[in-house]
Amino acid sequence: MSALLSMENLTGGYGEADILQDVSLTVAQDEIVVIVGPNGAGKSTAMKSVFGLLTIRGGKMLFDEDDITGWVPNRIVQRGICYVPQVDNIFREMSIHENLEMGGFLKTGDLSAAYDRVYTLFPDLKERRKTMAGSLSGGQRQMVAMGRALMLDPKLLLLDEPTAGLSPKYMEQIFQICRDVRDTGVAILLVEQHAKQALAFADRGYVLAAGKNRHEGTGADLLADREVAEMFLGG
Amino acid sequence: MDLFELVNFYVVPGIVLGSIYALGAVGITLIFAILRYAHLAHGDLATLGAFIALAAVTGMGVSPYVALPIAVLGTAAVAVGIDKVFYEHLRERPKIVTVMASLGIALMIRAVVQVVWGVDTQTYSRGIVRPEDYFGIRIRDREIYTLLAMVVLVGVLQLFLTRSKWGKAMRAMSDNPNLALLSGIDNKKVVMLTWVIAGGLCAASGFFLGINTELKAMMGWHMLLPMFAAAILGGVGRVEGAVLGGLIVGIAEELSVLVIPSEYKAAMAFAILLFMLLVRPTGLLKGKVL
Repeated sequence: MSALLSMENLTGGYGEADILQDVSLTVAQDEIVVIVGPNGAGKSTAMKSVFGLLTIRGGKMLFDEDDITGWVPNRIVQRGICYVPQVDNIFREMSIHENLEMGGFLKTGDLSAAYDRVYTLFPDLKERRKTMAGSLSGGQRQMVAMGRALMLDPKLLLLDEPTAGLSPKYMEQIFQICRDVRDTGVAILLVEQHAKQALAFADRGYVLAAGKNRHEGTGADLLADREVAEMFLGG
Repeated sequence: MDLFELVNFYVVPGIVLGSIYALGAVGITLIFAILRYAHLAHGDLATLGAFIALAAVTGMGVSPYVALPIAVLGTAAVAVGIDKVFYEHLRERPKIVTVMASLGIALMIRAVVQVVWGVDTQTYSRGIVRPEDYFGIRIRDREIYTLLAMVVLVGVLQLFLTRSKWGKAMRAMSDNPNLALLSGIDNKKVVMLTWVIAGGLCAASGFFLGINTELKAMMGWHMLLPMFAAAILGGVGRVEGAVLGGLIVGIAEELSVLVIPSEYKAAMAFAILLFMLLVRPTGLLKGKVL
C-alpha cells in the first residue's frame, strides 16, 4: 500500500542552519504516527517541514501522489493537510462555533456537514458552542484547536504536542479522540513529549535524535527496544 | 445657570463633538487591532473626507447629505491607495517605522488639501440654522443627524464584525494572525477591508465636524489627539469602547469651559489621555484585540 505522506531524505531548517538531516518517514492512510525524541531532536521541525514552514535543501515530500516540496502553507491546506500548532492554536476572543467557522474559511458553500462531524467527535463543544474559546480549560482548548483543523476535511492532521501541559485524564481523552479521528479516515502525524504513553497509543513511531532518524517501528516494538527504553525511560 | 442652559450649551454640543470623535476613534482602534500600529494620518484623512464632500457640494450642487456617501467612498479609496503605495512595503519592518511614515502621510494629505482648496475657512452652506426647541432643549437638525449617523454606522459595523464571514475574519486576524493564516484567511483582503472601513468612518467624522462647525485644513489634525484619547479611554481594540471614549472626551471638552478658559479646551483630551495611561492603561472596557 502506498503511503499518504512520504518524506524522503529531507534536509533543511530555518534560515541557514540545517536542523533536519536526511530524515525520512511515511504516514499511511488510517494511521496514527508519532514522532518522539529528546529535546532538540528536531521533532517539531520535522512536522513543520511537512507544512511548508521550513527551508528545504535536500530530499522531497510527497503527499497523495503530489510532490509538495516547497509549497506554501496556504496551498498545502487546500490540498488536505491541516496543522495544529502547540501554542496559540485557538482564537481566544471568538466563540467555539466561530473558531470552527474560521477553520472552514476556505470552504465554499454549506458548512453544516463539517460542523456535525466535529460536534459528533467533540460533544462537549457542542453544548458550549457560544462560549469564548479563551475561557476554556486546556483540554477543551485542544479540542477546539483540533476541531478547527478538521473543518476542512483534511486527509492528514498534524498535531504539535497536543497533550503538552494537560493532566493524564485529558491526555487519555485526547489520545482517544485521535483514534476516533483516525477511524473517520484521517491520518494523524503527531509530535509527543510524553514518549511512553504516545508510543503505547500510536500505530507506528519514529525516534529522532539530533535531527536524524534513529529508530522506527510499531509503538509496541519501540517500547520493547532496549536502546529506546534507555533514551526515554531511564533504563 | 439652570439645567437647560447646561444641557443646551454644553451637553448637546459635547455629544455632537463626541460622536464626531467616536467615528474617528473606531477607525483608529480597528487599525490598531488588525495592523498593530497607531495611525497618525487619521485626522488629516478626516480633513480630506470633509473637503471631498465640499467638492461634491460646490461642484455638483448637491446637498451636503448627498455628498456624504461620495466622501465616504472617495476617502475609503484613498485610504486603500495609501496603504498599497506606502504602508504595505513597511509591513515586515518594526511598527514604529509605519507610525513615522503615517506622520509623513498626514503632512502630505494636509498639503494636498491646502493646494487644492486653499487655506481659508469654508462651509457647506451659508446662513444661520436656528435650533428647534424640544421642551426647552434646543437642538439643530444637523446635531441629531450627527449622533444618528454615528450610532447607525457603528451599529452596522458591529453587526458586520459579529455576523458576516469577512467581519469574523477581521476579528480572527486581530485575535491570532498566525492561526488566521493557517486557516487560509487572506490577510491582504482583510487589511484592505480594514482600510475601507476606517477610511469611510474617517470621512464621516470629518464631514460632521465640517457641517457642525466649518472646514479648514487643520481641522482633522486638531482632532487627532482627542480621537486617540477616546480610543485609549475606551480600551484599544474595542469598537464600543471607542464610542464610549469619544462621547466622554467630547462632553468633557465642552464641560471643561465651565472651569478653565476656553482656549485650553483642547488640553482636556490630553489630560484624559494622561490620566487613563497612569490609572488604567487598558481602558474602561478592558482593551483586547478586536
